Amino acid sequence: MSMVDPILALTAFTTVVVFVAILFWPRHGLASRIGRLLRITERVRMEDALKHLFDGEYTGKTCSVESVAGALEISRARAARLVNQLEAMELMHSDGRGLPLTKAGREYALRLLRTHRLWERYLADRTNVKPADWHEQAERQEHTLAPAETEALAARIGHPLYDPHGDPIPTATGEMPPQSGVPLTALTPGQSGAVVHLEDEPREVFQKILDAGLVPLMRVQVIDMTPEKIRFTADGTTLELDPVAATNVTVVPLPQGEVGEGPFDNLASLKSGESATVVQIAPTCQGLHRRRLLDLGFVPGTLVTAELEGALRDPVAYRVRSTLIALRKQQAEWIHIDRSDQAVRS
Amino acid sequence: MAASVSSACDACSVGRAASLVQLGVRLDRWDFLVALAGNPNTGKSTVFNALTGLRQHTGNWPGKTVARAEGGYRHAGRRIKLIDLPGTYSLNAGSADEEVARDFILFGRPDVTVVVVDATRLERNLNLAIQILAITDRVVICLNLVDEAKRRGIGTDVVKLSQLLGVPVVPTVARRGDGIPELLDAIHGVAAGEVKTSPFRIDHYSPDLEAAVERLSRHLERVFPELSNSRWVALRLLAGDGSITTAVRTGEIGTLREDGAPYPGSMATAPSPVSDSSRSDELLALAEELRWTLSPEFQDSLTESSYAAAQTIVQSSTLRGLRRSGFDLDRSLDRLLTSRWLGFPVMLVILSAVFWMTIAGANIPSGAIAALLLDMGHPALKDLAAGIGMPWWVSGILIDGVYLATAWVVAVMLPPMAIFFPLFTLLEDFGYLPRVAFNLDKLFQKAGAHGKQALTMCMGFGCNAAGVVSTRVIDSPRERLIAIITNNFSLCNGRWPTQILIASIFIGALAPAHIAGLVSATAVVSVAVVGIGAMLLASWALSRTVLRGEATTFSLELPPYRPPRIIRTLYTSLIDRTVIVLWRAIVFAAPAGAVIWLLANLHVGGLSIAELMISWLDPFGLLLGLNGVILLAYVVAIPANEIVIPTVLMLTVLTLKLGGVGAGSGVMFELESPSATSDLLRAGGWTLLTGINLMLFSLLHNPCSTTLYTVYKETRSVKWTTLSAALPLAMGFTVCFLIAQIWRIATGL
Repeated sequence: MSMVDPILALTAFTTVVVFVAILFWPRHGLASRIGRLLRITERVRMEDALKHLFDGEYTGKTCSVESVAGALEISRARAARLVNQLEAMELMHSDGRGLPLTKAGREYALRLLRTHRLWERYLADRTNVKPADWHEQAERQEHTLAPAETEALAARIGHPLYDPHGDPIPTATGEMPPQSGVPLTALTPGQSGAVVHLEDEPREVFQKILDAGLVPLMRVQVIDMTPEKIRFTADGTTLELDPVAATNVTVVPLPQGEVGEGPFDNLASLKSGESATVVQIAPTCQGLHRRRLLDLGFVPGTLVTAELEGALRDPVAYRVRSTLIALRKQQAEWIHIDRSDQAVRS
Repeated sequence: MAASVSSACDACSVGRAASLVQLGVRLDRWDFLVALAGNPNTGKSTVFNALTGLRQHTGNWPGKTVARAEGGYRHAGRRIKLIDLPGTYSLNAGSADEEVARDFILFGRPDVTVVVVDATRLERNLNLAIQILAITDRVVICLNLVDEAKRRGIGTDVVKLSQLLGVPVVPTVARRGDGIPELLDAIHGVAAGEVKTSPFRIDHYSPDLEAAVERLSRHLERVFPELSNSRWVALRLLAGDGSITTAVRTGEIGTLREDGAPYPGSMATAPSPVSDSSRSDELLALAEELRWTLSPEFQDSLTESSYAAAQTIVQSSTLRGLRRSGFDLDRSLDRLLTSRWLGFPVMLVILSAVFWMTIAGANIPSGAIAALLLDMGHPALKDLAAGIGMPWWVSGILIDGVYLATAWVVAVMLPPMAIFFPLFTLLEDFGYLPRVAFNLDKLFQKAGAHGKQALTMCMGFGCNAAGVVSTRVIDSPRERLIAIITNNFSLCNGRWPTQILIASIFIGALAPAHIAGLVSATAVVSVAVVGIGAMLLASWALSRTVLRGEATTFSLELPPYRPPRIIRTLYTSLIDRTVIVLWRAIVFAAPAGAVIWLLANLHVGGLSIAELMISWLDPFGLLLGLNGVILLAYVVAIPANEIVIPTVLMLTVLTLKLGGVGAGSGVMFELESPSATSDLLRAGGWTLLTGINLMLFSLLHNPCSTTLYTVYKETRSVKWTTLSAALPLAMGFTVCFLIAQIWRIATGL
């Protein structure tokens, strides 16, 4: 019985594997690219234009055919055609001075915005997707989710009020509270505030803000300001940002004395046998993670003792309220503690 | 006074019976419905068993893969149905378990909810109890494990505790049956309305939350006057709880009377959902408006208040000055079992001991069953068939095919499973298994999976289908899927005989006689370890591609060590396992037996179908370093891995047309000694390469049909079931292919 030459077989095999990889590699593979091309349909462009116009209204900037062309990265002629289409669908009317939306247009835009922000919240709370990718993925989903699916999603993640950037999510009936807060640059040294919004475009600036470690709900206190940079504390750690990035951070000023004294130790730093009291769970820990930690008893004021380290050092078992709970290092880092003796003894 | 459910009430859509039917409970023939709730590891199942004895059965909650146990008992002339709710830390509906428990207590409206709390960890357990007290008045607290509490010097003033909580508290040691009669009386008292309760409820939160709750709950009471827990409903609306919001919108929330009776008056006067929708919408709009006024962290303060209340209550009712007895065995044991140097070795020793006991212990019973069913039963049946004049082909299909395959599976499968699973359950009851997950979690974390997958993996070494079911301990759906799809890489009981036989023929034979046994054993263990490696690799790959995403809410409780109830575990485990194996043998293996016989005995153009398929599969088989016989055997043995070797032998004899060996065409058989088997296989062209690749293929091929069926039932998705079959098969083909080519290049063939 003739046997296939092994070298020939291996070569054939490798060729097939390489071919499959070229086709199906995530994001860069042919199949992925073709899919992306097919998705950007006319309707998608139209909805993007609508969103741009709504954003202009909400933030008070005037829009024009040029701004639409710029935002969508298409030619002026195509932009003009889109604007005409929107007008024909009675979603906006041009009155010479700008491109204001009609009531129907505004409602449509709010629905898109709701889907977008709900999806970002879902990505932030329930998935491992990186923060810089949320916006892009939500951009895709807002065009494909049907209204019923959006409502199902909202129910699934607990009808959240804010997206992970700190922006309010329009309700199902299309309401949204007005934007509040001031840019970080408007605070004076010594003043504190709570972060309510991080602008996600342009992406590079957003990445800088993320790299600095900022997230919504953090308490910040300005230390000093120079034309080159602003120094401030956020949840106890000292950070720096350049003024451009700082303008993209919106805060709500807080009355004096509301910021907790940081920096805080976290639970992961406890050695076996040591005890501490829980101060808080880091504001950056939200959603299901936060619920679970609270339900397990890690509420402020609780005494925690590190008892056992596993054979591989991670996870560590902590004795909290007479129970041994094992947490991974990444989770223990979210729990801020106070190790001082008086806190422990009380 | 609880109304007995009459048939008119059953038909009424407003009645409790309708919601219970939706929740999967039939209320005929029972007077009272009792739910059992509590934190995990409080001895809740022991209480359940103590109340129901063996009159219980397990199933699933409808629409969810959460296990449910229900049972019944008689007391004071009444029949009582008892539902065991899943153990949960709270009712915040963050996971399927919590949703199930919460929905049952709220919508199912049991006559009594018994909350089992651990006397040694009262403060933590009361968090759940306080949440339950906010939903329903009719609660009985079962203060379990008071003997352990006494040992640790913890005493509780039961009367004071009962006063503070406003509900009956019954101390018990469920394991010994202490306190159970008093518990039965208390349940009866509350259910029959003889004991009035005034449950403890938190009546002040932080200022803005309190204001919002007050306003919303007063509005709720105006729209739904019969609502007895309006503050709790208000809180859930403010938290954006999906099912409560729906219940308010449809008006269902207003029909939930505490005593389960339908709305007073006729159906015509009951508030119909449609006409009141405007009032409900108004209510929901108010809730929405109030939500914006609360700080996003208000839910934190709810849990804090709950724990603070629990702390106060416990401090007021704990007796001081009791003596602790003995030293802390738990802590020393834990230090040993999870220590850096000893943790892993001890784990390996314990698991090896379990495997060794299974293999060694199963030998004799397997041999006995085989002797009975195969050596004696088979010929006896054939004689009987000949005696009554049965046509040869009928007796062929039924006796040589169906009966033989079924008997084989039972003989090979039953004894090991009957030993492995009780041992495993004992380890679980003892409390050791969470420590295994604790030790191994880092590995699984790197692979993007959950530490508890270590446990489902171990379970898979017994039986893959059981391993798949055991993945229910993993909360997160994504990680559960990873555990399900990769469970097949655990070398299950049914494949050990194949591995051991082939290892001793092809690998042990290479070594000098006195260490041949050791060498083959090492080979088998290596294959199992390769399996574990494959599982970690596959988990990693899955978590980077198709199962990317949902983050884990990892947490693992390490319960205190408790002496397992040996006799009871052996008994229930034995019954469970025996039933499963017998069922499986009949359902899956029987038809396979018929197919095997037919393949070998139906002739087309002078050759049996089997021979045709073998010659057709041969080229592909040889490419993989296997052969057509092996491939065909694996195709027909999809129902059960145990019959692979007997089928291989039968097919080899068939193709070689060897007379005098075997028991006829289409009849599976095994030979007495490995050396006889070796001769036969080598005559069929098997080499060392074939042996090695068979061992690897046996590890890396599609799951057996029982496992596939179980995967489908657990995932309800054709997509994932297909993946769970395709992934190991693809890996098996690839690995065998690569090894065959490299081998041939290396040996210059």
